[in-house]
Amino acid sequence: MAAAAATAATKGNGGGGARAGAGEGGGARKKKGPGPLATAYLVIYNVVMTAGWLVIAVGLVRAYLAKGSYHSLYYSIEKPLKFFQTGALLEILHCAVGIVPSSVVLTSFQVMSRVFLIWAVTHSVKEVQSEDSVLLFVIAWTITEIIRYSFYTFSLLNHLPYLIKWARYTLFIVLYPMGVSGELLTIYAALPFVRQAGLYSISLPNKYNFSFDYYAFLILIMISYIPIFPQLYFHMIHQRRKVLSHTEEHKKFE
Amino acid sequence: MKHYEVEILDAKTREKLCFLDKVEPHATIAEIKNLFTKTHPQWYPARQSLRLDPKGKSLKDEDVLQKLPVGTTATLYFRDLGAQISWVTVFLTEYAGPLFIYLLFYFRVPFIYGHKYDFTSSRHTVVHLACICHSFHYVKRLLETLFVHRFSHGTMPLRNIFKVSALGCVFQDPGLLPAPSTRSRPHPSPACFQNCTYYWGFAAWMAYYINHPLYTPPTYGAQQVKLALAIFVICQLGNFSIHMALRDLRPAGEWPAPGKGGMVVGRLGKGGSHLPLLSCLPGSKTRKIPYPTKNPFTWLFLLVSCPNYTYEVGSWIGFAIMTQCLPVALFSLVGFTQMTIWAKGKHRSYLKEFRDYPPLRMPIIPFLL
Repeated sequence: MAAAAATAATKGNGGGGARAGAGEGGGARKKKGPGPLATAYLVIYNVVMTAGWLVIAVGLVRAYLAKGSYHSLYYSIEKPLKFFQTGALLEILHCAVGIVPSSVVLTSFQVMSRVFLIWAVTHSVKEVQSEDSVLLFVIAWTITEIIRYSFYTFSLLNHLPYLIKWARYTLFIVLYPMGVSGELLTIYAALPFVRQAGLYSISLPNKYNFSFDYYAFLILIMISYIPIFPQLYFHMIHQRRKVLSHTEEHKKFE
Repeated sequence: MKHYEVEILDAKTREKLCFLDKVEPHATIAEIKNLFTKTHPQWYPARQSLRLDPKGKSLKDEDVLQKLPVGTTATLYFRDLGAQISWVTVFLTEYAGPLFIYLLFYFRVPFIYGHKYDFTSSRHTVVHLACICHSFHYVKRLLETLFVHRFSHGTMPLRNIFKVSALGCVFQDPGLLPAPSTRSRPHPSPACFQNCTYYWGFAAWMAYYINHPLYTPPTYGAQQVKLALAIFVICQLGNFSIHMALRDLRPAGEWPAPGKGGMVVGRLGKGGSHLPLLSCLPGSKTRKIPYPTKNPFTWLFLLVSCPNYTYEVGSWIGFAIMTQCLPVALFSLVGFTQMTIWAKGKHRSYLKEFRDYPPLRMPIIPFLL
C-alpha cells in the first residue's frame, strides 16, 4: 500500500509545465507551476532523492553479488533506506506550502505509511529484518521511487522522456502488488514478537487510564489494506489509460 | 394579471418532469415546490433543489417568480437532494447517542468488561460524578435543542445524520454539515458515516476507560476532582448563558412563519438568532454583534467572538482533569481543533460584516486564538 500510494497519490513534486501526474491525466496546462526559486529547490530535491534511491539499488546489487544470496540484504542498505525514505516527509511540507499541487492529506497518508513500515515495524522488530519479505518491498519501493523522482525531475525541467512516463504508469502493475505483499508479510512476521515483548503497548491499570495494544493495532493495519489497496490500484490503472492514450494522440500529430 | 408558465426539467437528464400553467407572478419558489410535489409526491419540498441553470445555485424558497430573470415561461431545473431529515431529529439523535452509550458502560452491561463485573458498580466516587457530568452535558444539549435553539431550513440530508451523530454535539463545519442558511441549501456530505462512527466511537472509548474496573482515580484525589468539577460546572453554566444570550438577540416575533412540522424557519445551530448559524458556518449573514448582558458569564463576549465554544472546550478540559483520562483529553483536543476552525470562520464573517466590530475580541481564546 505504501508502494502503491507512492505512485498513485501524488501529482508530482512540481512538474510545472508537463502536468502528467496522477490525477491530472496530462491534460491541464493552464495551472501555473511553482515560482523559479521553488522550482529550483524541487529539482534539487528530486535529483537528490533519485540519487538516494539509486544508491540503495546499487547497494542491494553489490551486497547480493558479495554475499552470493539474496537473504538478509536489508542490513547493507539499512541506513540509506531509513534516511531517504524518512526524508520523503518533506513532501508533506511541499504540499502544505503549496509548491506541489497535491493533497496534503493524501501525501501524508502515503509517506506516513512508508515511514511506519520502516521505523515502527522493520526497525523496531529486529527479528523481521532478516525476512525475505523485507527485500520484496524494498525492491518494489526502490524501483518505484527511482522512476517517480526522475519523473518529477524531468517534468519540472519540461523534458519528460516518454520512457519515464511509460515506466511510471506501467511498472506499478507489478511493483504495487509486490510491495504490498512484502509489506503485509513483514507485518505478519512481526506479530509474534510484538505480542511476546508487549512492544509499544500499555495496559491497565495506569494513572492516565489509557491502554493500547500494538499487536491489535498491527492487525487492524493489515485489514485496512483490503479496502485501500484495490482503490489505489485501480485509480492508477485509470490514470494509466488517461495519461498514456493522451500521449499517443499527441504523438500522432507530430 | 399575466400568469406565468413554469416547466420543471431534470437537471441531469433534461427530462420534462412537470409543467405548471397559470402560476401567479408573485408566487414563491416554496409555492412552486409545493405544486411540484403534487405531481411527484416522492419529492417533498425539502428535498427539492430548483435552479435556473442545471449547474447553478439553488433558488431560495422566498424567491419570487417575477423577480427572477425569466420570461413568462420559466424553465427550472430540478435536483433531488435525497431523503431529508429534520434538524431537530438530527440533534436529538446525535445527543442521545453518546448519552446512551456512556450509560451502557457505566452500568457495566455484559460483554464489555469481564463477566464477573457485569452490572457491578465502581467504588470510586469520581466515576459516579463523571457519569452525572457527562449525562448532564448531553441532557442539557437535548433540552437546548428542543427549547432554546431555533432552526432554519427545517431539514438536512439523511445521510449526514450518521456523520454528525458521532460527534455527540453539533459540529457544523461547512465540510461536515452543509450551510443551511436561507441562501443555499443543504447538500449531502460524503464523510457522513465516517464522522458518526468516529464520534460515537470516541464516546464509547472514553466511557470504556472511566467505567473500567481497573480505573485509577486522579492523582491529587478529592482536591483535583473538586477543582475540575468547579471548572466543568462554571463552563456549562457559561455555555448555557451564551446560548440564551444569542437566542435573545433575535426576538421570536421577527421570525418568518413556521414551516412544516412546527419547525420555525430561523437558523441552524446553537443559540437563537443567525449568529449560531454563523458560529459554525462562515459566510452566512450576521445581523447583530452579540454584546455582554447582565449575566456575568456573557462578559466573555468582551474578549471572544464565540464564547459558547470557549466554554465548551473548558467543560471538556474540566472533565478530562476530573477523570484524569487520556482519551478524554484527546477528545477535548479534537473538539477544540474543530471549534477553533468554526470560531475563526465566524470571527472572519463578523469582521467582514461590521466595520465597528470590537477589535479586542479574538475568535475563541482571549488574546490568543
